[in-house]
Amino acid sequence: MHSIETPGTAAIAAKPIETPGAAQAYTSLASPGAQNTALLDVRNLAASADDMQILHGVSLSIGKGETHVLMGPNGAGKSTLGRLIMGDPSYEQTAGSILFDGSDISELSPDKRSRAGLFLSFQAPVEIPGVPLLSFLRAAASGRFGQGLRGRKLRARIEELCDELDMDPAYLDRELGVGFSGGEKKKLEMLQLLLLAPKLAILDETDSGLDVDALGVVSRGIDAYRESCDGSLLIITHNTRILEHLKVDRVHVMVDGRIAAEGDASLIPWIDRNGFESFENASLSDPCCQAGDDINACPARTPSASASSLPAETR
Amino acid sequence: MQNSFAAGATAQEAPKAITVNAMPAATWGWLKMNDAEAAVPAHLASAPNAARLEVEVNGKTVNPTRDADAFERALDSAAGRYALAQRLGAGDAAQQPSRQSATPEKELDATALSSYQSGALDLERTYTPARAFKTGMGHEGFGYLSEVSRGPHLIAAPAHASVCATLHVCGAPGAAAVGAVDVVASEGSNVSITIALDSPDEGEGIVGSAVRVLAGKGARVSIACIQTLADGYTALDDTGMFLAEGAQASVRHDVLGAGASFTGLSADLRGDESRATVNVNYLGARSQTRDFNYEITHRGRNTESNISANGVLAGESKKCLRGTIDLTHGCKGSQGTEHETVLLADERVRNKSVPVILCDEDEVAGNHGATIGHIRADQLLYLTCRGISEDAAEELFIRAKLEDAAIAAPSRAARAGIVRLGKRMFDDFEESLGEEIA
Amino acid sequence: MPKKRSQVNDIDRSLYDIRNSEQEAERLSAGLTPQIVREISKRKDEPQWMLDFRLKSLEIYQSMPTPSWGPALDGLDMDNIVTYVKPNTSQQSDWESVPDDIKSTFERLGIPEAERSYLAGVGAQYDSELVYHNMQDTAAKMGIVYSGIEEALREPRWEELIRSKFMTLIPPADHKFAALHGAVWSGGSFVYVPAGVKLDFPLQSYFRLNARGAGQFEHTLIIVEDDADLHFIEGCSAPKYNVANLHAGAVELFVGKRAHLRYSTIENWSKNMYNLNTKRARVDAEGEIEWISGSFGSHVGYLYPMSVLAGRRSRSSFTGITFAGAGQNLDTGCKVVLAAPETSATVETKGISKGGGVQTFRSSVVATPAARDSTVSVSCQSLMLDDISRSDTIPAMDIRAKNVDIGHEATIGRIGDDKVFYLMSRGVSEEEARTMIVNGFAEPVSKELPLEYAVEMNNLIKLEMEGAIG
Repeated sequence: MHSIETPGTAAIAAKPIETPGAAQAYTSLASPGAQNTALLDVRNLAASADDMQILHGVSLSIGKGETHVLMGPNGAGKSTLGRLIMGDPSYEQTAGSILFDGSDISELSPDKRSRAGLFLSFQAPVEIPGVPLLSFLRAAASGRFGQGLRGRKLRARIEELCDELDMDPAYLDRELGVGFSGGEKKKLEMLQLLLLAPKLAILDETDSGLDVDALGVVSRGIDAYRESCDGSLLIITHNTRILEHLKVDRVHVMVDGRIAAEGDASLIPWIDRNGFESFENASLSDPCCQAGDDINACPARTPSASASSLPAETR
Repeated sequence: MQNSFAAGATAQEAPKAITVNAMPAATWGWLKMNDAEAAVPAHLASAPNAARLEVEVNGKTVNPTRDADAFERALDSAAGRYALAQRLGAGDAAQQPSRQSATPEKELDATALSSYQSGALDLERTYTPARAFKTGMGHEGFGYLSEVSRGPHLIAAPAHASVCATLHVCGAPGAAAVGAVDVVASEGSNVSITIALDSPDEGEGIVGSAVRVLAGKGARVSIACIQTLADGYTALDDTGMFLAEGAQASVRHDVLGAGASFTGLSADLRGDESRATVNVNYLGARSQTRDFNYEITHRGRNTESNISANGVLAGESKKCLRGTIDLTHGCKGSQGTEHETVLLADERVRNKSVPVILCDEDEVAGNHGATIGHIRADQLLYLTCRGISEDAAEELFIRAKLEDAAIAAPSRAARAGIVRLGKRMFDDFEESLGEEIA
Repeated sequence: MPKKRSQVNDIDRSLYDIRNSEQEAERLSAGLTPQIVREISKRKDEPQWMLDFRLKSLEIYQSMPTPSWGPALDGLDMDNIVTYVKPNTSQQSDWESVPDDIKSTFERLGIPEAERSYLAGVGAQYDSELVYHNMQDTAAKMGIVYSGIEEALREPRWEELIRSKFMTLIPPADHKFAALHGAVWSGGSFVYVPAGVKLDFPLQSYFRLNARGAGQFEHTLIIVEDDADLHFIEGCSAPKYNVANLHAGAVELFVGKRAHLRYSTIENWSKNMYNLNTKRARVDAEGEIEWISGSFGSHVGYLYPMSVLAGRRSRSSFTGITFAGAGQNLDTGCKVVLAAPETSATVETKGISKGGGVQTFRSSVVATPAARDSTVSVSCQSLMLDDISRSDTIPAMDIRAKNVDIGHEATIGRIGDDKVFYLMSRGVSEEEARTMIVNGFAEPVSKELPLEYAVEMNNLIKLEMEGAIG
C-alpha cells in the first residue's frame, strides 16, 4: 500500500468538495464545456438516512445525450445517489442542489421528477397485487403524451415494445410484478424506460452485473433507448461487462460517498484490471492532490487520489 | 343496528330490516361481525319484468319455464341417495355418553359442545340433504328475494347438455328488482350462467338475485355475477349449491357498485370428489358497505374448495367478509383453502375479515390466509417514481379493479355496466377501455 | 429438574388428582346471593368501597346473559357452586407452618423445591385463600412487592393504587363471569415492580382448588413500572370430582413505558373444571407483554388473554398451546387491541385435539384509527389426532387504521403418515413416533417456558398421548 504521509491531507482533500468554486472547477473537469448545457447538474450533494451520512458533497454533471457510468465498490453510495436524484423520501438531502433541465428539483416529489423527464430503474421492482400491469402503465403514461398516445394506441405501442423486448404480451394482464422472474422484471423496467422516453435515465444495475440474461435485456433496452430518443444515461454498476459495446462519455468512481475519480471510457478497462482497491486506499489515506503529475498512468483525474497512490504497474 | 344503511329508505319510513349473512359458528357479539342487517323498505314495489333470462341449450335458444317446485323435487330425488350420517363426530354417543342420557355422575365426561357444534351434529344426524340445503344469505334473505321475484325460473340442463344462460336484472328507482333462478344440471352437463345486476338509471331501490343450483354427477356449473349498481341501490345476491359426485362449481363475484351490497354463497359438497372454486373481487369506495358470507361445507370424500377474495377499499367504505370452510365428519381426503387480500387505500376505511375453518375430521387439510394492508412505502415509491402521485395511486387501484373486471366480463351487458360505473368515477374510463375491448 | 416432578414421567395423572379431605375452617353455602357476597366481604375486613363494588358486580352478573357462542355451560349450575371455602390455616411465610396435608400437596407439585432452586418468590393459594406467600430478601430489597392482594389492600400505602387499578382493565360489565369475579373474588397476588427494577428470577403463584363443587376466584394484579422487568409464572391444578368446579379468576397487568413483562401459565385443572378465566394487559409506550400459555386441563375452557397496546411502539406476543382430550371443550385464543401508532403484535398458537375432545382457536385483532403504522402477524396451527375429535378456528379482524399490515395464516391437518413411517422405519414405535411429532409441534411453545415447565408440558403431552393409538 502506497501512501504519502502528509499531515492535514484530509482537510485539503475535503476542500474541493466543500468550496463551491472548487466544485465548479471540478464539474467542468467532469464534462468539459458542458456546464451551460448540462441536463443534470448535481452540486455538492450531501445526504443521510437514519441520521447516517451517506453522501458527502457529490458533484456530477451530465450533458444532453451523454452516457455516464457511476462505478464503485459495494456500499459506496451509488444507489443512494440514484435514489436521491429521483427523490426517494427515505434519504434526506442535507446539502447541495440537484439541477435538472435548468431548475432545482430538490423539493419535488418523485412523481413530479418523473414527469419532468427523469427515470430511475429499480434493481428489484416491487410487486403490487391487484394492479394489472397494463393499468399501471396506463396510469404512468397518463397525461404525458397529450391526446396522441392513449387508449388503443397506447396499448398498441406497449405491445410493440413487448415485441421489441421479447416479452410476452400476456404479462400485460397480469398483476404488476407478481410472479415475475428476474428477467421478466428487468424487461418490465426496460419497457417503461422505452415507453416513458425520459430525458435522463438512471439505470441502477448494481445487482444485475452477474446475470447474463438480465444483462442482455438491459443492453437491448439501452440500445433501443439511445436509438429512439437522444436521451442521457447514468448507469450505476460495479461490474464492467454491462458496458461492453456501449459508447461511454464519462466514468465516475464513487468511494465512501465521495467521487474518488473521474475519467473517460478508458477508465473502464483499467478498473476491470485493477478493481477499486486503489481508490479505496486513496480515499482512506488521501494524499495531497497532485493530479497531473503522472496522469497517463491511470486514466483518471481525481481530486483526492494522487497518481502516486495508484498501483505501480499502472504508472 | 349493524351494517345498516340509509340507501333505499327515506328517514320517515321505518325500513324493514332482515338479518342476512349469519356465519355458521358465531363469535363475540361485540365485534358485530356475526351477521348483517339489510334494510328492505316495505314500500318498494316488486319491479315488473325486471329480470330478463336468456337460455341456450346446445346452442339453441329455449324459453325458460317458471316452476317453483321442480328444484325441490330434483333435490329430493338427487339427495335421497345420501344417507344420514352414521358415524358421528366429536362428542358422539359412540365415544361417550350422549348429552341426553347423561347421568349427573357422567355428565362431565361428555364434551360440552357449543350450540353451533351440537347443532352441526344434529344437522348431520337428522336432516336429509334436501332439508340441510341452504343459501349463503340464510332463510330470511332468500325468503325475501323469492317473494319479490315471484317465483324462480328453471334452467334444466339435460344430461351431458351444454347450457348458457344470462340473467340481467335491471334496477328501477323506487322498486325491488330480483331475478330468481333454479338450476338443475343433470349428469355430465355443462352450465354457464352470467348474472348482471345493473342500474342504468340512478335512483334508490333494491336489486338482487337468488340462485339455487343442483349439480348432478360430473356436472360443471359456472356462475359469474357482476354487480354494477349506482350508489342509491342495495344489492342482495344469494346463492345456494348442492354438488353430487364429481360435480364442479366455479363462482365469480364482482362486487363493484351499490351503496350497500350483501353477497351470500353456500355450497354443499355432498358428493365425493366434488369441487367448488370461488373468486371474489370487490371494490369499496365513498361510503359504500360490502357484506359477504361464504360457506363451503365439505361432506363427500376427496372434495376440494378454494375461496379467493381480492378487494380494494377506498374512501370511507366498510366491508365485512365471512368465509367458512366446514370440514364435516366423514369428508376424508378433502381440502379447503381460503385466502383474502385486501388493500386499504384510505385511512378512513373499515375492514372486517373472519376466515373460519371448522374441522370435524382428521384426514383433511384446511388452510386460510389473509393479507390486509395499505399501499406499502416501497410500492408507493415505485409508483411515484413512474410519475404516479399518491392520489393517483389510490385511483389506480380502484381503476385497476374495474379494468380487470371489464377485461374478464363474460357478457356485453356486464361490460357495459362496468363501463358505466367506471365513467362515473373516471372521465376517460370508457375511452381508454372502450377502445380496447371494442 | 425437581425430583418430584420427574414422577410425571412414569406415573399417571394421579399426581394432580390427590384429594385432601375437606377439613376447611369454613365453607359458605352454595349459590350466589347478596347475603353470600356480604359474608365473603365481612370475612376479609375490606374497605367499604370494595363491598359496594362486589354488590354492584353481583347486580351486573344477574342482569347479563350467558355467552351463547362458546362451549355449553349447562353443566355449570351456580346454585351448586360454593363460592368461598376457607382453608384451615391463615397465610404463612414458611412452609413448616402450613398444615401437613396442604403442605404435602404442594410438595408433590414441586412448589417448595422450585422456590428453593430458581424462583424469587412464591405464592400458594388453596381454595379461596392464600396459605403461603414469601419472597426472597434480595427481591424485597429491590423494592419489589409481592404479597397477597387482600393483604396489600389493608395497607394504606397500596390501597389507593389498587383501588385505582382494580377491575379497570376487566370491568365487571365486560362479560358475565367478569361480573361474577367482581362479586365473589377472593385471594390472589399483588405485584409491584418499581421503575427501573429488573428481577432476574421469576415469581410464581400456584392455585390449587381442593374443595368439591367449589369455585376459585383469585385476583392477580401486577404493576410493572417504567423500565422494569418481570417474569411471572402461574400454575394451577385440582383433583377431579364428578361435580362441576369453577374457576373465574382475573389477571390485570399494567406494563409501564419500556417495561417488560412475561406472563407464563401452565393450566392443568381437572376435567370437571369450568375455567372461565379473564386475563388482560395494558402496555404503555415501548413496553412489551409476552404471554406464554399452555392449556391442558378443564372440562370447559374460555380463555383469551388480551393485550391492549396503549402506548406508541408497544408490543405484544402471544404463544399458546391447547390440548383437548376426551370430554374437554377448550375454547382458547387471544385478543389484541392496537390503540397506538407503530405497535406490533404476534400470535402463534398450536391446538391439538384427541379422543373426542374439542379445541377452538378464537381470536380478535382490532386496530383502532390510532394504530397507524402497526403490524400484526397471526399464525395458528391445529393438529387432529383422530377422527372423533374436533378443531375449529375462528379468527376475527377489524382494521380501521392507516398503514396497518395484518398477516394471518391458519392450517388444520393431521400427523402425516410419511413422518410416522419415517420414524418407525428407524426403529421408533408408533406411539413414540406420534408423541415425538406432537412434542415437536408443541416445541415453539415449550421452548418459551422455563425448563421445569417445558418438561412438565412434555410430560402432560406424553400422558395425553398414551393409548392414543387405536
